Amino acid sequence: MKKNVAIGFLGINLDNGKGVARWERWRPSVDLCRQDDFLIHRFELLSDPKHMAIAQQIKDDIALVSPDTEVVINEMELHNPWDLEEVYEALFDFASLYRFNTDDEDYLLHITTGTHVAQICLFLLNEARYLPGKILQLSPPRKRDKGGPGKVSVIDLDLSKYDRLSERFETERESDTSFLKSGIPTRNAAFNAMIDEIEQVAIRTTNPVLISGPTGAGKSLLARRIFELKKRRHQIEGDFVSVNCATLRGDTAMSSLFGHKRGAYAGAIKDRAGLLRTAHKGLIFMDEIEALGLDEQAMILSALEEQKFYPVGGDQEVRSEFQLIAGTTADLTELVARGIFREDLLARIDMWSYTLPGLKDRREDIEPNLEFELSKFSSSNNRKMTLNKEARQAYLKYALSADAKWAANFRDLAASVTRLCTFADGSRIQLESVEREIERLKKGWRLKSSDPAEETLLTVMTQEELSEVDPFDRPSLANSINVCRQSDNLSDAGRKLFAVSREKRKTQNDSDRLKKYLAKYNLSWADI
Amino acid sequence: MREIIIDGSEGEGGGQVLRTSLSLSAITGKPVRIEDVRGQRKKPGLFRQHLTAFKAAAEICDAQMEGAELGSSEIAFHAGKIKGGDYEFSIGSAGATNLVAQTLLPILSHADSDSTVRITGGTHNQWAPTFDFLDQAFLPQFRKMGGRAALELESYGFYPAGGGAIRMSVKPMSETHALSLEDRGERLKESAVAIVANLKRDIANRELKTLLKSMNLKPEQGEIIHADGPGPGNAISLFLEHEHVTEVFIGLGEHGVRAEAVAKKVAEQAQKYLPAKDSLGSLHTAVGEHLADQLLLPMSLFDGGVFTTTDITQHTRTNMDIIKMFLDVEFKMTQLGRKCWKVEVTKQAGDNGT
Repeated sequence: MKKNVAIGFLGINLDNGKGVARWERWRPSVDLCRQDDFLIHRFELLSDPKHMAIAQQIKDDIALVSPDTEVVINEMELHNPWDLEEVYEALFDFASLYRFNTDDEDYLLHITTGTHVAQICLFLLNEARYLPGKILQLSPPRKRDKGGPGKVSVIDLDLSKYDRLSERFETERESDTSFLKSGIPTRNAAFNAMIDEIEQVAIRTTNPVLISGPTGAGKSLLARRIFELKKRRHQIEGDFVSVNCATLRGDTAMSSLFGHKRGAYAGAIKDRAGLLRTAHKGLIFMDEIEALGLDEQAMILSALEEQKFYPVGGDQEVRSEFQLIAGTTADLTELVARGIFREDLLARIDMWSYTLPGLKDRREDIEPNLEFELSKFSSSNNRKMTLNKEARQAYLKYALSADAKWAANFRDLAASVTRLCTFADGSRIQLESVEREIERLKKGWRLKSSDPAEETLLTVMTQEELSEVDPFDRPSLANSINVCRQSDNLSDAGRKLFAVSREKRKTQNDSDRLKKYLAKYNLSWADI
Repeated sequence: MREIIIDGSEGEGGGQVLRTSLSLSAITGKPVRIEDVRGQRKKPGLFRQHLTAFKAAAEICDAQMEGAELGSSEIAFHAGKIKGGDYEFSIGSAGATNLVAQTLLPILSHADSDSTVRITGGTHNQWAPTFDFLDQAFLPQFRKMGGRAALELESYGFYPAGGGAIRMSVKPMSETHALSLEDRGERLKESAVAIVANLKRDIANRELKTLLKSMNLKPEQGEIIHADGPGPGNAISLFLEHEHVTEVFIGLGEHGVRAEAVAKKVAEQAQKYLPAKDSLGSLHTAVGEHLADQLLLPMSLFDGGVFTTTDITQHTRTNMDIIKMFLDVEFKMTQLGRKCWKVEVTKQAGDNGT
């Protein structure tokens, strides 16, 4: 059996007592050692050198009442036992020098004696595991047990060991993860496991978090939910600031992010705080972080590390303790290799890195998300929307099929449900509405084809018509269409398109040449 | 050898079950297992003082122990050879030295050689026989049965400081006798002793005054002893010496209890004992309930015998039950009067207890 080792301060009031009358007092350090059913094998008594006489008395008295207890007096000089810094430091030093042998000994931190500050420090060091073991408390004897040694309680700060508390934590944790998922009972195991981890990270750290994933995968929503979870847990005071870095190109990027002083440049007519300053003590979500210029990247890195920065045109640093969540659709490692993303910034932000899968990779979550979108629409429009049975089957069948591309992921799903609800007569969505919606989705994804030429051509012809065009001709036709669109009229477009050959021709009828070329594909200027 | 299994929660269900079992197991060599140790108590399992007795008993007979831990609810004890010799045990204030002495005494009486045992701790504890009781009431009877032992008080130890010491010397018994204690005999002497340690003499004075008056005794029959020691303490004992037995009644001073009240309680015990006799009025009950308890074990081990007692308590019955699990003895109880029970202990032929 392991030995019990108590560590505790000498109680200069409680443990003190003069003459034989001391035996009539309840003295925690002595009475701790004369319990019927509990034995302290060794007592590490912490005492200021100026109270050595009391400490020695306690040691002698323990030897009488409990010959099996060894008392070791540890000198701990404290000028002010109410000074947290001093007491913490002294205990910290004790803890670092002490040779703990947790294999053979159980440590019990006795908090009945000593100042409240001493109790707090013992607690803090125990919580931080610098002092291993449990907390030990002795309560004075009740009236009818007068003269008795009182009652020992051992307090384990490992709260997971308490059944009722664990249950509550579990419920709380479940409610947190569910909160991060906006209450959607998602089924994808990998996604759920990732959210569980993000929940831990969200409530335990303020480090930057990187969320990658395709557009519409829910990065921005997740960032906002993380912020709100922290807010709910009182871990954050400030606001949520969200910015898409793709909108920050150009001259104003710096001042949008870091603010500027009045007159910093033409047009800076008054001070501007900037987004980072606005996010002070809050959280900033920077989506498409890869779109930031290298200069801005360097500034962001420095602001993250220093928690302060110079506004544009300012010579005084401003402070901002912000937490960063970065979003990206790109492979930042590859961008680092190509020299357009700073390696040091990536290293700083990808400590906690998560990839949100697209909807295609979370097919089992389509149905719960469909429900979620329906109820979201219902509540914001005060109309309880439902799909009838066939309509639901048809929709899910298509949604889960390989044909459904879900190119913009949950954004597509949300838009699709909004359209379904908007076009529905009343609150029930019928099969025909679903069929029309499926056509719309198909068309939408065709437009967003991966081949830009195809994409252009599909704006002027159907898929069937496109299939009649040779792949050889597609790029030039698409290019012609694009040039037309950037031109004032047919002749203008013709001049640009035939800029080389027209020099060698006698008659310069470019517009006619173009008209005939387009006509080959049943297209006219008006179509374009 | 098969273990004798004892249910520690049966009968009186306290520490006495443990101590009696240990003595008997060591002497008979029959291994014992006690389940549900102190099962009747609010906080069951082994306390420190029980653990001390357990380990001390194991030490003097080279026993193998199981469950020798604080709070154990099941223990086993497989004794080896009893070794006479010099021992010292230190038990602190929570345990009474006399309880340990009482456990070891019968065991060492069965050793091959002489022993001395020094035990430090409390000598006058609540809920335990005090040194004076053991020395004046019990030991003379033990010697009559053939036991050869003496007790010496080195220093007083009171709860909570403890710090007392007793010394017990034991010789192996040679010739054993049946106890014959049906009548207490003529009264020879009455005296009262008040002990104070580190407390005002006034306490002892008041106790003595009250006790002497209640018992119709003269001032010169009272005595005050000033004990030294680390802590405060007080006890008052009344010795009633008769031709065949000395009874000792004890009161322990307690914080918050008046000296007069402590003395009154002692007088009450004595007044219950003094007039006790059989319904014919031909014999006076010999012993009180506590001494009755203590006589059972040596009588069963040695040559049996007979005594009369004021009461048969739950303690006494439990003790008999435990003894019968180890030894082939019979207890016969006959009520002779309201405060007079005759207890006969008969050893079956061929069983000498060892």
